[in-house]
Amino acid sequence: MALSLVAYIREFARWEWARKFLAARTAPLVIPPYFRNYPELTGKTCTHHLFCMMACPAPGAIDVIRTPEGWQPRIHIGHCIRCGLCVEACPNGVLSSGRILESMFRDNTRLSFSFKIDVDLDKCMGCGNCAVACPVNKLIDAQMSHGGRASTDDLLLKLSDGKCRVLHVEKCTGCKTCEHHCPNEAISVARLLEAVHAPEEEP
Amino acid sequence: MKRTVDVSIPVGPVHPCWKEPARVKCETRGEYVVSAEVELGYMKKGIERIMKGRPWQEVMFLAERVCGICSVIHNMVFIEALEHISGIEVPRRAALLRVIVNELDRMQSHILANFSYCYTIEHETLAMYLLDVREKVMDQLERITGARVTCAYIVPGGVRFDLRPEDGQALRQSLSAIEQEITRYTDMFSSGPLIAFRSKGIGILTKEAAREAYAVGPTARASGLGDIDRRLRHPTYQSLGFSPVVRTEGDNYARIMVRFQEIVQSIGLIRKCLDELPEGPIRGGGIPGAGEIVYSGEAPRGELSYFVKTDSAGRVLEISIQTPSIMNIEACCHYMLKGVSSLADVTSTFVSSDPCIACTER
Repeated sequence: MALSLVAYIREFARWEWARKFLAARTAPLVIPPYFRNYPELTGKTCTHHLFCMMACPAPGAIDVIRTPEGWQPRIHIGHCIRCGLCVEACPNGVLSSGRILESMFRDNTRLSFSFKIDVDLDKCMGCGNCAVACPVNKLIDAQMSHGGRASTDDLLLKLSDGKCRVLHVEKCTGCKTCEHHCPNEAISVARLLEAVHAPEEEP
Repeated sequence: MKRTVDVSIPVGPVHPCWKEPARVKCETRGEYVVSAEVELGYMKKGIERIMKGRPWQEVMFLAERVCGICSVIHNMVFIEALEHISGIEVPRRAALLRVIVNELDRMQSHILANFSYCYTIEHETLAMYLLDVREKVMDQLERITGARVTCAYIVPGGVRFDLRPEDGQALRQSLSAIEQEITRYTDMFSSGPLIAFRSKGIGILTKEAAREAYAVGPTARASGLGDIDRRLRHPTYQSLGFSPVVRTEGDNYARIMVRFQEIVQSIGLIRKCLDELPEGPIRGGGIPGAGEIVYSGEAPRGELSYFVKTDSAGRVLEISIQTPSIMNIEACCHYMLKGVSSLADVTSTFVSSDPCIACTER
């Protein structure tokens, strides 16, 4: 009996086990650098293109707000699903998340936006609200009359023959103001996202 | 003399061995199961309804969230369906990177399925060992894609991030560690006498029954149906010389062993991809256009098909998803569970067919 007790103590009362038991420490949890976390600001100047908001798949996850320093994207944690599309869509590298921004420069990849305006001519009643409300039109021809008619053809949208015509779709910024101002739901703007490799350099 | 009574015993919907809720109603004579019926519908998400009318960049993330375990294949099948609609070509490097990520996802899904089976037959040691290996696979997924579960890696025309040389190196090292451990655990599983007692000859699905019940995936491959593997029709897998793992026993043991063998096979496929990986672009560009298609791919649990109809702006007008688990659950309840001689084997047989209820009910 006594012998077995000694054998038991010799087996289990090992100094290194006792030391491990008393001094065991779990390694601290670290977030690896490649983990795609919530996007953070890099400090670069936001140019208010709003591509981050257009690319975002989660409703209400990102807003671009005006601060005393200028425009600034703000991520709403809890809505954000950490997909990182806003980081890839931003033309200026304002946001960064994990290694995404680094990878974009390294692999020369980005998401590019193009816009497509569809006008349903059967529904369009030629009120010209879209052409008047369009902020791009306002920059080109501030004197546009309330019916959407103008003398220049440089405009994005213009009314001719009583119907809305899309003249220069490449000028569209995807703001959807025309869509909101159409009383008849005749105009719709589609935001087309394209994942491209080796894009043209910004001038 | 012992009297046997006919009783109807419900198993579930909440059961400690099951990851997700489902109810199996067993008609029993004593402990012998005469017939079984399954009741689903405890966790309907209505995700297909949410997808309608949204552009592809939103649906891509919703598709991943159909299933939390096999999210990569949902992304892959949806995006490849869009590519087939619009005729978008994928560069070779991107196609191989897709296979790498998909096979890593398949590995972690199979390891989780085997964990769950070992846990159900009360072999917790092996179960915990398997979960430990799964972490290594998940770490590699995170290293390549930036996230562990919802990777969001595949976009029309390519993939989102390139594989860096140092990541490829880490992946190779990790793969050899995983292969070593998986081989050891496969030996433990195949040579364990108690495991054999709980697994061999239980829940048999014959080849004819598997064909009749339209069983898919590892469940069908364990019953000798190899030609149902959709990877045989995928051009990238064809170029890699893929041939499916087939076993003929059709019992619980065979289903788990098929998964173990497929994990080793996936390791081989990933190594082959890494060897063949050419230099070049990872994105070909291309905007999804209008059209409709039924496209299927091989999820870890079997054939996954998407019906997608899009308009000219890449918005999804109609979508319908058929996931593999529903066929396997039917095969399990109507064929495997019939004749199971003990109620303790009902849970393990159900788990061995790897039911994913979140997929099934979407």
